[in-house]
Amino acid sequence: MTRPFNGMRFSGALALGAVLLFLLGPFVVIALAGLSAGDTLAFPPQGLSLRWVIAVFGMDNFRASFWLSLQLAIGSTALALLLGVPAAYGLARYRVPGRELVRTLLIAPLIVPGIIVGLALLRHAVIPLDLGVTWALILAHTVLVVPYAVRVVTASLDNLRTDVEEAAVMLGATRLQTFFRIVLPNIRSGIIAAFILGFVTSFNQVPVSLFLTGPGITTLPIDMLTSMEFVYDPSIAALSALMALLSIAIVAVAERALGLSRYV
Amino acid sequence: MSDAFLDLQGLSLGYGATLAVPALDLAMAEGELLALLGPSGCGKTTTMRAIAGLLQPRAGRITLAGRDITRVSAHQREVGLVFQSYALFPHLSVFENVAFGLRLRKVDAAELQRRTQEAIAMVGLAGFERRLPRELSGGQQQRVALARSVVVRPRLLLLDEPLSNLDARLRLEMRSELQRLQRELGVTMMYVTHDQSEALALADRVVVMREGRIAQQGSPVDIYERPRSAFVARFVGFENVFAASADGALRPWVEGQPGRAWRPRQVLLGQGPHEGQVLGASYLGESVEVLLHTAAGPVKAQAAPDAPRRVPGETLRFDLPIADAVLLDE
Amino acid sequence: MFDNRRIGIALAAPAALFVALAFIVPVAVLLSGGFATPQGWGLSRWAEFVGDPLSVEVFWRTVKLGALVTLACAVLGYATALAIVDAGPTWKGRWSGLVMLPLMISPVARTYAWIVLLGRTGLVNQAITGLGLSAEPLRLLFTETAVFIGLVQLFLPLMVLSLVSALENLPADVVPAARVLGAPWPTVFFKVLLPLSREGLVIGGTLVFTGSVTAYITPAVLGGSKVLMLETLLYQRVSVANDFASASVIALILIVMSVVTHALLRRASAARRR
Repeated sequence: MTRPFNGMRFSGALALGAVLLFLLGPFVVIALAGLSAGDTLAFPPQGLSLRWVIAVFGMDNFRASFWLSLQLAIGSTALALLLGVPAAYGLARYRVPGRELVRTLLIAPLIVPGIIVGLALLRHAVIPLDLGVTWALILAHTVLVVPYAVRVVTASLDNLRTDVEEAAVMLGATRLQTFFRIVLPNIRSGIIAAFILGFVTSFNQVPVSLFLTGPGITTLPIDMLTSMEFVYDPSIAALSALMALLSIAIVAVAERALGLSRYV
Repeated sequence: MSDAFLDLQGLSLGYGATLAVPALDLAMAEGELLALLGPSGCGKTTTMRAIAGLLQPRAGRITLAGRDITRVSAHQREVGLVFQSYALFPHLSVFENVAFGLRLRKVDAAELQRRTQEAIAMVGLAGFERRLPRELSGGQQQRVALARSVVVRPRLLLLDEPLSNLDARLRLEMRSELQRLQRELGVTMMYVTHDQSEALALADRVVVMREGRIAQQGSPVDIYERPRSAFVARFVGFENVFAASADGALRPWVEGQPGRAWRPRQVLLGQGPHEGQVLGASYLGESVEVLLHTAAGPVKAQAAPDAPRRVPGETLRFDLPIADAVLLDE
Repeated sequence: MFDNRRIGIALAAPAALFVALAFIVPVAVLLSGGFATPQGWGLSRWAEFVGDPLSVEVFWRTVKLGALVTLACAVLGYATALAIVDAGPTWKGRWSGLVMLPLMISPVARTYAWIVLLGRTGLVNQAITGLGLSAEPLRLLFTETAVFIGLVQLFLPLMVLSLVSALENLPADVVPAARVLGAPWPTVFFKVLLPLSREGLVIGGTLVFTGSVTAYITPAVLGGSKVLMLETLLYQRVSVANDFASASVIALILIVMSVVTHALLRRASAARRR
């Protein structure tokens, strides 16, 4: 509909402005609180400075949990793609018995709350098999990201007609060659979109990791959560602001380059 | 072992629960241009895909140039396929599309360059090498698809209704292009179409298919002038099919019974033993198509543009000269 | 579609096996724990849950908050969505982008801001005491209201986007047509827009409800142990009391709620496609 409410223009803008203030205001608040020059967490901040932002980079515990989160996000997303891309392709292009069932299976982790996945893995996989904390986290995060990989790549594949692959075969390409020379280049942006989606999901993830982190080995968001209870300086705020900026930057770049919203 | 170039023996093809082609026998000579003609669902595309290797036969054998290819995978059959939708690789340029098969065969750089350029020039697209498929018109994409398939020198080239997505004028142009190409290269070609004029114009031999079986095969003249069944007759324009009665009276034709067929232009209007009511008269430019209603069924006649105008409801006498009729077995 | 099933199966098998072994099996075993009692299979754990006042309170609070958050998001969502759709092509994309922005920020960061705003010395209290509305700073944190606000902020974008998508697909002249016929704005909304954008509302509503009911971070940060919701209760039962049976019961409740709402969502979008 184009401009159906001409009479409402003013009140419409007002409503919009208020809602956006509500949605984005807190982010601005936290960013400013993190840029405070003072010693305690307060808003409005007592002066602006980058001191806490810089300090955060020096805090060993946050650095460690940041690295873990980063490696976890990259590792689990890569693994999820390694599993998910062939699966999406196999299900899209071949007559697999029980196709819809398998597809539902692969998307299932999206429906179960993360905390349950974490607890279930802890009790019935990690402890019995005596897996280390890192492996447990990788397992849990990969489970979480696989649905995104499958869904996004499936959408990409639906846009690529099968006769293009048949044409490659008729010209002498084996299925493998067809996949690497014809299919992959054409679903590349879908794969990148899936990677970014998976990365952001894993990086920001809390519930799944709650039961799986251990002393000294924890993810950044959980580290922040636990620190909230006893830290009263702006360091967590500064960290929040940094994390938020990172997420926004990644997704903004992706949207520009790929039109991310097409795949979600 | 036959010495036909392409030999299909007892081919049985189906999808899932349906059997599209029960048992097909067909042979092709080298260098021949064969047209598989028929309405949609008759099994012509299914047969083509089986020859290409994209569909596994349930039973039967396919032999190409003396080699049994029934169990050979599609990518090793040396059979080319030009798709109805062209199926160009969207991420590759015209040059890379055409060179694709040669790259797979690890042809050396200089020869690859030469052969690819040659193929592109042969289809009249010299200068278009860097373009991407989405920048090309339908006709141009068609030509790239052709060049791409031909450059790897397949033993057999299959074309799946390649011209059906083009407008009428372009179709005629491309038709003669194809013919020229086939003569120049001497490629054995199988052409699938539902358009009878295309099949008749292009082919050395026409195979008419119906419901998974061959209804009739022969030269274009054979098919056009001597159809043997009502199905084929109607397909090539014999619109008036009636029972072959001993007394010359007009009776409806019954499936499986012998019949007689006439083209619209063979109907003599104005005088004759038969009578009908004019249902309508359509001006077609070169002629006027007159539709008559009779007790035995509709009759379609062709009148000259300057003949007396026929009025709907008018009763008209007409003749279907038995001497001019084509006799149908079934 | 290619003929060969075996290749397809081989391609899909690793992922399917992985999800089956790393997800289905552990979760199934966990859920079955809710039915295991010292006397074998039984529903005694469930009886315990239903008989425990705290658990029941938490359950109803979770459902109540879920419903309230969904309602608030529906109202605010419609207002926002209508304003966005009315904004004309260039601004529509920009407003939508701004609304989507919070979704990309970690829930931890988004929720933390409320601590700063709602704390004793936070902005809201500063305003309240400054304006003389109260002599003492109010306790705003660790209340249901705080959790409510946090959840609305978290999930409103989902509702807005869903509604914008539904409203955009309406025939172009529906509103002007109704207005020309003399309908006042409330009628236009309730009799024209609402029914026509119903699927968007259902989709957005199920996303918001499921999200609110299965939320962890917001209730944890803004509710603490005073305002427990199902997931924070679960965490507490496991980490503090080592009570896995009770955790299994809660887990099953959460899954059922999530699955049911997702099934409704599937039905709604399938209906639209028809």
